[in-house]
Amino acid sequence: MLNINALAFSYQSKDRQSEPMLFDLQARAGEILSLIGPSGSGKSTLLGLIAGFNAPISGQILVDAEEIQHLRPAERPVTIVFQEHNLFPHLDVFTNIALGINPSLKLSQAQRSRIIQALDKLGIGEFEKAMPGQLSGGQKQRVAIARALVREHSILLLDEPFAALGPALRGEMIELLKSIVEAQQMVALLVSHQPSDALQASETTAFVYDGRVIAQESTRKLLKESKLLEVNEYLGYL
Amino acid sequence: MASKSAYPVLGLLALLVLAPMAGLISVSHLASADAGIGELWQSRYIRRVLVFSLWQASLSTLLSTGFGLLVARAFAHRGEFRLRALMLKLFGLPLVVPAVVAVMGVVSVYGSNGWIPLGRSLYGLNGILLAHVFFNLPLAVRLLLPVWQSIPAHHWQMSDALGLSAWQQWKYLEWPALRETLPGVALLIFMLCLTSFAVVLTLGGGPRSTTLEVAIYQALRFDFDPPRAVILALLQLILCILIAWISSRFQRLPDVEITISNSSLRKSISNQLINTLFISIAAVFVGMPLLAMFIDAINGPLLQVLGNARLWSSAGFSLMIGLCAASLSIVAGWALLDTSTDLALANQKRGANLIELAGSIVYVVPPLVIGTGLFILMMPWLNVFEWTFPVVILVNAMMGLPFVIRCLGPPMRQSKMRYNRLCQSLALSGWNRFKFVDWPLLRKPLGLSAALVSALAMGDLGVIALFGSTDTSTLPLLLYRQLSAYLIPQAAVTAGFLLVFCLLVFWLLETGIGGKSRVEY
Amino acid sequence: MSKFYQSIGVALLIAVFTLSSLAAKPTLTVYTYDSFSSEWGPGPQVKQAFEKNCVCILKLVGLEDGVSLLSRLRLEGKNTKADLVLGIDTSLTAEARATGLFQPHGLQLLNSTLPRSWSDDLFLPYDYGYFAFVYNREQLKNPPRSLRELVENPQGPHILIQDPRTSTPGLGLLLWIKKVYGDEADQAWAKLSSRIVTVSKGWSEAYGLFLKGEAPMVLSYTTSPAYHIIAEQDARFAAARFSEGHYQQIEVAGLVVSSKQPALGRQFLSFMLGPEFQNIIPTTNWMYPVSLEPSKLPPAFNQLIDPAPALLFSDTEIAENRKRWITEWLEVMAN
Repeated sequence: MLNINALAFSYQSKDRQSEPMLFDLQARAGEILSLIGPSGSGKSTLLGLIAGFNAPISGQILVDAEEIQHLRPAERPVTIVFQEHNLFPHLDVFTNIALGINPSLKLSQAQRSRIIQALDKLGIGEFEKAMPGQLSGGQKQRVAIARALVREHSILLLDEPFAALGPALRGEMIELLKSIVEAQQMVALLVSHQPSDALQASETTAFVYDGRVIAQESTRKLLKESKLLEVNEYLGYL
Repeated sequence: MASKSAYPVLGLLALLVLAPMAGLISVSHLASADAGIGELWQSRYIRRVLVFSLWQASLSTLLSTGFGLLVARAFAHRGEFRLRALMLKLFGLPLVVPAVVAVMGVVSVYGSNGWIPLGRSLYGLNGILLAHVFFNLPLAVRLLLPVWQSIPAHHWQMSDALGLSAWQQWKYLEWPALRETLPGVALLIFMLCLTSFAVVLTLGGGPRSTTLEVAIYQALRFDFDPPRAVILALLQLILCILIAWISSRFQRLPDVEITISNSSLRKSISNQLINTLFISIAAVFVGMPLLAMFIDAINGPLLQVLGNARLWSSAGFSLMIGLCAASLSIVAGWALLDTSTDLALANQKRGANLIELAGSIVYVVPPLVIGTGLFILMMPWLNVFEWTFPVVILVNAMMGLPFVIRCLGPPMRQSKMRYNRLCQSLALSGWNRFKFVDWPLLRKPLGLSAALVSALAMGDLGVIALFGSTDTSTLPLLLYRQLSAYLIPQAAVTAGFLLVFCLLVFWLLETGIGGKSRVEY
Repeated sequence: MSKFYQSIGVALLIAVFTLSSLAAKPTLTVYTYDSFSSEWGPGPQVKQAFEKNCVCILKLVGLEDGVSLLSRLRLEGKNTKADLVLGIDTSLTAEARATGLFQPHGLQLLNSTLPRSWSDDLFLPYDYGYFAFVYNREQLKNPPRSLRELVENPQGPHILIQDPRTSTPGLGLLLWIKKVYGDEADQAWAKLSSRIVTVSKGWSEAYGLFLKGEAPMVLSYTTSPAYHIIAEQDARFAAARFSEGHYQQIEVAGLVVSSKQPALGRQFLSFMLGPEFQNIIPTTNWMYPVSLEPSKLPPAFNQLIDPAPALLFSDTEIAENRKRWITEWLEVMAN
């Protein structure tokens, strides 16, 4: 269970300033919570706060009632999949995933087989020794998700991971993701620009606007029956 | 969050610059009497020296960087061709050549008996500019070429699709990408030209061409007026800091992340011809003095010089100095850049610039001042003769820092921009991070830096002359001793040997450390 | 019984001799300039010759050039490891004296070939030379015959010279012109400047440029042609003889006041004036040895010009005026 309580943040450097953001959010294990909203609204920032790349001004991030906002990124039970550059281009697929388990690449036999299993589960078993440069966009994202799988952390963050994929592939990936998240009982947050992704992936969706989560409800209701001006503007109904 | 590795190094650098100056001031009581003749004249003299120093350095920088830019662009647009790698290696040579040898090479080509005789007009600003461009155009090319490799392929495709003219292409694609690197490169070349010594003194034609560096040399060597030397050195330092500040105003760090491109740029026949022309002209310009040096070498008593054991022992010493200085310089430069790139990515650009500036500016403090100051400090406690090599290595490592910073800085920044968060989330840090991420991705610029610094150190004549004695012989020292003993043909052979030797080491380091892979990450 | 005492006596004698030969030989450290101690200079032969008779080790430390010698000594002060300094020239002796780091040598210079008698109690000369303009006989048929001719003839040959701020020959020319022209030296330089191709940092750059043909004449020494004749069998080079005379450079050695081996030092100094040392000088240092008869010089030296009269400022005159004269020179040349 992931709880975000009154998490406050703002960018304070010369090049980037923003209004203060304030996030409140809950997400359950075993399902994907989608985050949608206009660009610049703070979705990626929120992921960054959870992952530990940005330090909040105040507030709490609770994973199963334990505070993690003081921990460094490596200490948090979080795996994050970026939009791109998830893989090191000079290392093969196996090594890329292996780094997720142990940064010194010293693996036990059990860990090694776990990696092979993850590759098979994601349908990319044949690419074990391939280099990222040889893979397509979708295959690369699968590798990133395979890494998330082997790390067995409780929180999975995905920042527009399928943005470059076509509709069919995207649908496939989301189904895959759902099954993994459910099997592993992870808490997953999926940021996407496509409301249809949210519809497919999540029971519950949160709408982020101007640094705040202004709605968190059933996806169907949010997308079809929302009373909020901002939501309808975003969805193009106005 | 940002790495703190830079601060001890900065502290050490400050110590190595300020302590020797303090040492020099402390012996001012030893200065010969009758210093300070005519205060009024002195200040006018200094002002004239200052103006000339600035003038020749600015002009040299403009020409070297401007032409270097054109030639780098020509290389980038031309793409692969058979002799490309060799030519780029060739462009690493001029840095190696000791100034006194290069001057002879330039004279061989442009002097009264040369291939393109300029006669007496060679001696004056013309000669200084020729020699400076010979030294620095190749450097500019090597430091600017990587910029083109970082412009994304789809930007080129877009410009094709939009039918952008060459000028618009420059304005919207190439110039923005250059704005990160160009000011730093220009500043480096400015510092090299400002502190250039033998070139100015021999090709300058006379006292009209006096620079600050010459005045410092005179103050310390002939007049033995240490306080004056310190004041002039500080003046030079402040001047460079000013220039650096101005150049940083023009610098724009990339806001948008630059993605890699490993596809070739568009080619049209007429463009290719022009590119080939530029490249050929540059190669000829750089190659001619080098060729002249080789010819002089071949015509000399080859066997006699090559058979002399002292040549080989000198080569050994030079190699040791070069490798040690390069290692030290890289370690220090890496420490500085680790912090400065972190700061830059955290949007603390001023801090980042300051650190990089501090690392670069040490070049401008004359090695003579540092060396003599260190000598004074060490003397009461140590036998100076036993410490020749460590001091020479240390000072040369300092001189090499700006090169490391220029070479390694942008790739390190890019690599961090892409992979910092990934590494953080995977707990990939320290030795593991270096082994699996930094080393493979940064090998190439590391290799180039190592090659550049060792070339510089192997060709150094200034510091070693101060601390060494006849027993400690490096190749440039040997060369100079031969020149001073009427052994001019032998010196020519030694010069040729020095060139070949340094080329070899340069190539070995660049490929050995840099690796053979040509894929840019 | 006497045999017993005899054997003890012999044993004692053997012991004494063995012990004395095991005792460390004293080291005499001489600071000198690079071209003296290098393998092509007098150094190796001097070392061999001196160590034959001295029961000591002669350590020659080569430091760049004559000017650096003095600066280095100043920096080291009383802590210097040098016992002797060899290679300062007379333009620097007044300043060297003022450092207080030298002690009287106590020797006399007899049979010197110097034009004037030597009266310096701190420094002893070992060789000397004369500055002259060297040219290629095949290329310059009518060299100027006096300094005035060189200066005043606007059609005269172009020349290569060195900077008086950074080189002793450069300073030598400055003093030469000062000696000949006196207060009108400035005008002389103004007239000469249009024919100066370049003013280089040191002797070797200028000479190298000359050999490349950048100018028909270069400021060097009267003995330069001797090198080409002897070492290269090349007789094309000659020095131009000037009727006013040539400026002289006398190189000296001095005993350091803090030396731990003063007796050994003085031994070296007298060796320095002796025939063995002096014979080495002509073909290794390419200067005139101070106490060798002219008849004993290598034959090629007879082909050199006669530089008389020798022009020289006293060392006190130089110490008082050098900076001012250089400043005046700069004034003229930098405009």
